[in-house]
Formats: sequence, C-alpha cells, structure tokens
Amino acid sequence: MTTTAAAIPGGAAPALDLPTLTGGRIVSTGWYGHPVLVSFLRHAG
Amino acid sequence: MKVRQRWDRWEAIGAVAVFVVFDDPELLRRTMFADIDVDDLPFEVAVDRARTSYRAWGLHRARRRDIWLDPAVYRTYWRLLRAGDRLRAGGSDSLQLGGDFVLDRAGRIAYARPQVRDDRPPVAELLAAAKRVGP
Repeated sequence: MTTTAAAIPGGAAPALDLPTLTGGRIVSTGWYGHPVLVSFLRHAG
Repeated sequence: MKVRQRWDRWEAIGAVAVFVVFDDPELLRRTMFADIDVDDLPFEVAVDRARTSYRAWGLHRARRRDIWLDPAVYRTYWRLLRAGDRLRAGGSDSLQLGGDFVLDRAGRIAYARPQVRDDRPPVAELLAAAKRVGP
C-alpha cells in the first residue's frame, strides 16, 4: 500500500473542486490562510 | 465524524474542515448522515462520485481480507453497539479507504494519514497537527 507523492507532507495538496451535500461547491483555493482538515471518509455502515 | 463533537477547539485556532464522501447523496442521507442535519454542520461535506480526489490524494481500495478479516473492525463495531449505536446500511464500496490530512495556510500538506485498513487517528492527533500549523 503506497501513497502518491501528492499525499506526502511538504508537498502541495492536490486541488479539490467538488459539489457539496447541501448543494454548494467547495474549491480548495478558498482555504488559503487557514489550517485545514481534509478528511476522506469510508462508507462501511 | 468525531471532529464535530468538539468543533469549538478547531474554531479556536481558525481551522476549517471539509469531509469528502463518494456515495450517492440520497444514500448518504439515509445511512451515514441519517442522524445528522447536514445543513447545520460547521463544515462542508463534499461529494466525489468518481473518486477522482481519492486517487489524487493517494487513497486506495483495501484488500477484502484487510477489512473483513481484521479483528479491530469487529472490536470497533462491538464498542459502538455497546455504546448504543446501531448498524447502518453500508455504502457502495466498503473497500474504499479514506484518510486524514492537515494543510498549512499555504495549502501544503502538513500531516498525512492515508488509511491502510479501517483505522483513523485520534481527533487529538489531528488537532495537534492543525495547531502546529498555527492560527
């Protein structure tokens, strides 16, 4: 199990541009200036 | 999503959060978010049906045995059930792994914890990483 270089500390985070559950949209460049937690979830029940 | 239980600690350091999910929104509202008012969350929940971002962030699918033959998975279910939680219907792919990342103020990865099985770091570890980034 390996990770891509993009996920390694010190590297630039891959961009995110996704719809939200509430009908909006998130764009990762909007987070600059804050510490950000990005949590990718499993869905196992 | 234990982060929301003590969101005040994240707010205190000026942090923002986004949770990324991949299942159909209707299924998510009936299962993972059945007891949660998503309109009332202090952070966004983003939907990536194609899982493009999962791949871009280096998050893989587990081997079946890494999930379903892992005793820790059953200990977790047992602990949740004893605490009064209930089993919910699963998603479309129980082998898709997740991960937790903390970004600094410039958008660089300051902390990375991609899952290799069904485990998550303690929230305190994530919060400590965010504090190191600074308010």
